Amino acid sequence: MPEKIIAFIKKDFLNEASYKLPFLLNFIAVFANILIYFFIDLLFGKKITPHLEAFGVHYFAYVLLGTAFFSYAGVGLGSFASRIQREQVEGTLESILSTPTKISTILSAIGLWNLIAATFDLIIYILLAIFVFKIDFSHVNPVSTLIILLLTITSFSGLGILSASFIIVLKRGNPIGWLVGATEGLLGGVYFPITVFPAWLQFLAGCLPITYAIQAIQLSVYKGYGVAALAKEITFLLLFSVILIPLGMTTFACALKKTKLQGTLGQY
Amino acid sequence: MEDHIIQVENIRKSFTPPISYRNILKLNFRERPSVAALKDVSFCVPAGSLLGILGPNGAGKTTILKTIATLILPDKGRVTVNSKFLVGRDDEKIKSLIGLACGQERSFYWRLTGLQNLKFFAALYGLTKRQADSRLDYLLRLFDIDYADKRFDSYSSGMKQKLALVRALLHDPRVLLLDEPTKSLDITTAANLRDFIKKLVAEHGKTIIYTTHSTHEAQYLGGTFLIMDKGEIKADGRMEDLRKKINNPTATLEDIFLQLCRKK
Repeated sequence: MPEKIIAFIKKDFLNEASYKLPFLLNFIAVFANILIYFFIDLLFGKKITPHLEAFGVHYFAYVLLGTAFFSYAGVGLGSFASRIQREQVEGTLESILSTPTKISTILSAIGLWNLIAATFDLIIYILLAIFVFKIDFSHVNPVSTLIILLLTITSFSGLGILSASFIIVLKRGNPIGWLVGATEGLLGGVYFPITVFPAWLQFLAGCLPITYAIQAIQLSVYKGYGVAALAKEITFLLLFSVILIPLGMTTFACALKKTKLQGTLGQY
Repeated sequence: MEDHIIQVENIRKSFTPPISYRNILKLNFRERPSVAALKDVSFCVPAGSLLGILGPNGAGKTTILKTIATLILPDKGRVTVNSKFLVGRDDEKIKSLIGLACGQERSFYWRLTGLQNLKFFAALYGLTKRQADSRLDYLLRLFDIDYADKRFDSYSSGMKQKLALVRALLHDPRVLLLDEPTKSLDITTAANLRDFIKKLVAEHGKTIIYTTHSTHEAQYLGGTFLIMDKGEIKADGRMEDLRKKINNPTATLEDIFLQLCRKK
């Protein structure tokens, strides 16, 4: 199994490396994204900062980490579906599924590559934050930050596999990805803390994994909170992972069976 | 008793076309007549034999191959491979025994070289690096492929077809499923491939099931034949069986095919 996963990662790297421009464009996109929040902070930052007392940072530092982390988690969510769709469009999905490779291996390999690519993006965010925007990361707790990163990726991968199940059957249109992407960005406290919401919206936000992930990452990075202090958030993220990964895997297996029954595996 | 490596028993397969815009506008979501691709198809393939499936377009030839390869699940009936593995239940084991080469060009990564593609699939077939290198060395020489280090998108249709055959043979499978294997190949390469197919059966004991539109090719390859039309088997067996079926002891495969499949 490790050989197969390595083969996938190598293939994906070679495929991505054959396109030269996206790397540069990605860097520019990240920079432009950060600049938007930099200017929003100049305009409204002072008004929002009082809501961020718990995190001990000003608005720009909060939103920069939130956005970077959300895009990291979003990779887990969106890229399973987009990768499956790409294999369908390129016609290689049937070829892969003709080999004696377990579905769990294929999904793990896709997940690992996503993680590598997302980590690369995250590094760009952090480097820009430190060297261009002079954000202070000196309080970071590396252990709790790493645990939160991993748990966020696993819980979002569960959702991502779930949404890939729709893609494999429907070919286009990804209701889970759309719903989760839209609501989590708004309600998860990515762009502003959820304390600005009315009580009922705060309750809804509490049902989403991103809310716990964002809160935990802000506290572990800016306040240096350890595992014990973040026990509630870590428990919720663990719970989401334990539920969503098997649910995603089972749904994907059912979707694959349905596609084979429809005879549409090679279609896109 | 003959050892059957593939047993296809009463398989049925229908495909439902996607809902049309006209029906969506009429809010008619029910009226979607399904198209029968296979109607109670049964046949057995002895180990180490050659079976040619012939039929007009839409006869169900590729559907049969893809069903055996576990890429399509039948609505009814069952497919058994190696006497004990069932399609839909033991797919992993079946895929280790089978090599599939489909005619479609869109089955490789176009931005990678042929060799990078083949090494990737070799790993998925469970070959170690050393095994893959030695197998690729043998197969690339066998198929006279000297362009494997060039990008796949620069290949001609014939070159792509050859690479698909190499991929199907990577893990040295017991059964080869070839969907129109000589399509897009030049005359010499096609002739070499036909001889290679015969050699794989005669000398290496492989079981090969192939589809073709060429009755001449099928007659040259010999073995047994399955003539299909509209999802049904019109005739099957060796040449003498087919000749008996149409009561013409001197008929060619083309005569038989036309008599059975030509629209009246």
